[in-house]
Amino acid sequence: MSRGMFFAMAKGESLSADKSEVLQGTLDMMILKTLHALGPLHGFGIARRIEQVSEDVLTLNEGTVYTSLLRLQQQGWIESEWGTSENNRKARFYSITRQGRKQLAVETENWERISGVIGRVLGLEGK
Amino acid sequence: MTSWMFRLASRVRGLFGQKEADSEFDLETQTHLQLLTEKFIRQGMDPRDAWSAARTQFGNTTLLRQRHRESRTLLFFPNLLMDLRYGLRMLWKSPAFTVVAGLTLALGIGATSAVFSLIQGVLLTPPPYQKPKQLMLIQSVRTDGQKMDSPRGWAAQQWMEWNQKVGSFQGIAGYGWTFNFLIRDDGSQSMQGMEVSKDYFRLMGLKTALGHGFDDSDFGQGHVKSIVLGYEFWQRAFGGDREIIGKTVRISRWDSSPVVIGVMEPGVRFLPSPSAAKEPNYDVNATVDLWVPADPDPKYLKESYWNVVGRLRDGVTPQRGLQELAAITAREGSTEKKFEGFSPQLEPLTDEMNRDGRRILLPLLGASALVLLIACGNAAALLLVRGLQRQQEYAVRIAMGMGRIGLVRQVVTEGLLLALLGGTLGIGLAIFTVKLFKVIAQHAVPRLDGVTAGWAVLGWGLGLAVLAAFFAGAIPALRAFRLNPMEVLKDAGPKGTAGIGERRLLRGVAMLQTALTLALLVGAGLLIRTMVKIAQVPSGYNTGRILTMSVTEVQSRSNWGPFHRQALERVAAIPGVEYAAFAWGVPLTGNNWPVALDIEGQPPAAKESDKTTLPLRAVTPDYFKLMGLALIDGREFRSTDDDKSADVAIVNQAFTQRYFPNRNSVGRKFWPNGRDKPGVEIVGEIANGRTEDLTQAPSPEIYLPLWQAQAFSKHLVLRTTADPRAVVVAVERELRAVDPTAAIENVKTLEQIRDESLASRTFAMHLLTGFSVLGSVLTLVGIYGVISLSVASRRRELAIRSAVGAQQKDIRRLIFGEGFRLIAGGVLGGIALAVIVSRVLRTFLFEVQPGDPATFIFVGALFMGVGLLACWAPARRAGKVDPLEALRYE
Repeated sequence: MSRGMFFAMAKGESLSADKSEVLQGTLDMMILKTLHALGPLHGFGIARRIEQVSEDVLTLNEGTVYTSLLRLQQQGWIESEWGTSENNRKARFYSITRQGRKQLAVETENWERISGVIGRVLGLEGK
Repeated sequence: MTSWMFRLASRVRGLFGQKEADSEFDLETQTHLQLLTEKFIRQGMDPRDAWSAARTQFGNTTLLRQRHRESRTLLFFPNLLMDLRYGLRMLWKSPAFTVVAGLTLALGIGATSAVFSLIQGVLLTPPPYQKPKQLMLIQSVRTDGQKMDSPRGWAAQQWMEWNQKVGSFQGIAGYGWTFNFLIRDDGSQSMQGMEVSKDYFRLMGLKTALGHGFDDSDFGQGHVKSIVLGYEFWQRAFGGDREIIGKTVRISRWDSSPVVIGVMEPGVRFLPSPSAAKEPNYDVNATVDLWVPADPDPKYLKESYWNVVGRLRDGVTPQRGLQELAAITAREGSTEKKFEGFSPQLEPLTDEMNRDGRRILLPLLGASALVLLIACGNAAALLLVRGLQRQQEYAVRIAMGMGRIGLVRQVVTEGLLLALLGGTLGIGLAIFTVKLFKVIAQHAVPRLDGVTAGWAVLGWGLGLAVLAAFFAGAIPALRAFRLNPMEVLKDAGPKGTAGIGERRLLRGVAMLQTALTLALLVGAGLLIRTMVKIAQVPSGYNTGRILTMSVTEVQSRSNWGPFHRQALERVAAIPGVEYAAFAWGVPLTGNNWPVALDIEGQPPAAKESDKTTLPLRAVTPDYFKLMGLALIDGREFRSTDDDKSADVAIVNQAFTQRYFPNRNSVGRKFWPNGRDKPGVEIVGEIANGRTEDLTQAPSPEIYLPLWQAQAFSKHLVLRTTADPRAVVVAVERELRAVDPTAAIENVKTLEQIRDESLASRTFAMHLLTGFSVLGSVLTLVGIYGVISLSVASRRRELAIRSAVGAQQKDIRRLIFGEGFRLIAGGVLGGIALAVIVSRVLRTFLFEVQPGDPATFIFVGALFMGVGLLACWAPARRAGKVDPLEALRYE
């Protein structure tokens, strides 16, 4: 599924200088990783986790999380069920599926390879 | 890999429960927003600010919901419904456009799908044999490659040996053509049948619908004990009576009455029997009436009586089969003089069956495809012009946020709707046309009776409609895609005008249409010239006021002479009958009797394949007078030239010229059965006539007195003083008076026979003429439209021109000039196209070359003239542009 990621990059959406916008495919991957690491979560929880981990480097319209969640669900990588959140509110809880775990492994490997390559290329140019 | 399937499945699911999903999503976002607000409040924000901060951080919920909805389901589906609804409304609102465009497409689609249906029924429907592609007709050709005078079969000894020894065939069977009558007291009924060897049914994979086929006990010498009836004949003659199995039927010329043991499955037609093709009742495309078991007679094993068919083994190529067959045949030829000089040739059965149909239907398919293309051109031009008129609308819609893809989809949907409308009308037209074809093309297209205007028409029509939608809609769609809304809205020019680019495009379309139409017109022109030439050909005999019918005495051989003499006497006495004669070999029916013979003065043939074969005919004395064939030398037949006197014959001029150049043939002899037997003396010579085919020069012919030749099936020929049809009833009454069981069939005037002999050409001519008229009308409408649009778009320019002094006639010349360039370009292109295309008509032409300059010049000039006429009205309109008004209006 790394194609989706490249596609988003290829579209050349402008990246602001200090805060980077989250690329579509990247967000998907981050959500998968979050669910993998923390178990079932609702959308709000996922948004918090990403905020926390990214240490304010990434800007995120939190609504986009739901677009990602729907997409992941359509791929069959996550599943959801209704439950009760803290403060007794009805919320939908998402959890990663077996297929999702496999996909995450593939994506992670891809990402490492590509970011390694990009890092090397950028490093080269710097010298 | 399968993830797209997941997505599709979940999207299809998304089509349902749309509302529920929306509210769930709303609930989810609400929870999120509330949690976020609470978080901000906990961090110390003012509650009022916290809510709006949460909304800001969350993003636009409406947009998000919309996006969710889009990705949740197959969005194009609701959109498609919307597009369809909108498209229908637009078509409904401009009925004139819709009707013109719909009808235009209907004509093209109707013509093409009608021809397609014929092709489906005649060429693509396989014969009812098992794996028909494996079946090979084994034909006999001369080893030295020369053409044979007349077709020849194979000896039973040969094909029986092949059947045993040739490994590449599953089996080989012999068959023949036979003709007889079912004797009935109220007029006997003719039956065309097939004589088949033991293996035939099994080899072909034929099954009986009722009863059973032949088994070994049915084969043998002597009387035929059992027969199988053809399904169609069983329906026709016995009304589908199931009790017929086991009953006997009376058949002429057979000494005993055979038992019907079965009825064949429906739709089984003949295999070609080339050596019987000249028989009066031979029709290879008919369904078989009667099946007769035939076992090779040990006395005639070496006579080439048999036609042969074989089935190749699975995976064996015809080439390999032929090699093996040729080797055995060569060995047979070296040991037996009668087999010498002939080689086998394999012809796939399906190829042979489709040869005539392909010859006529494929050119017609091409012609109808041209009509469809022309119609598509018109529809495309109409859609394009309409697109121009709606540019403003498109621009506004783009400006309002409709995607370009959406716009293209809208344009394509409208094109598709139009094509479906055209397709529906076209299918109606095609069903009617196929029915019409079945009436008028009966003699032109083989096996037309098997064609039905059913699902095939529907399928082809709808397929073509989609194709047409693509052709006609592609250009308008592309234009919509490239539309620049800023330009259009800024321009806000008058409606119904077009820029240079569009006009050039439309001119190109009209030019292409002109070229296609010209190709059609040239084809039609060539065929019309052919028919004119054929009409001018001197046939050498009369065709007017002549009635023919096949008359057969079915009782017994001894009754033959008295019946025919009495019949002739009675018929000749009917008022209105000038002459009456019996003839075996009426002109243009293709009937004659090819016989290998020795002619006085010619060297005896060294090999069997070198023997001269000439067509024999047999007539009663008045025949030549009746036909108007002049006697040139010697005498005519007398009624005393019968079985008690010496054999005599009359030949034609072509015979004398070929075999006795610059000498007389009268008094010479020829021998039909070898020089050791008594010969036949030539007693007269008559003028040449084109009896075989009007388009072929007369060839040598021999006539025998019918009283000597005693032919079984033959025609009664009458010359009348008035309309020949008027005497039919009286003639039948007189014949029945002589013998009520006599078979009287195929009552036709000689003119009808003549027309049937030209049927395929006439059909091709009519169809091509019809198509080219259709194409011409469509193209003229197209030219008219293009020039009109051009005048409307150049209104301002014309006004300025006339303001600075151009006269009306200058303006008119300007417009005519535009029209002229368009038409001339199209005509030139069309001539180039026609040079290539007219070659396919070669086999239909007679004394006209495919590149006939007269036709090309005439057709080109004609279309130029008519095309310019179409420019006349717009040119007049252009001349009347009032400069003041036009400029003020701008």
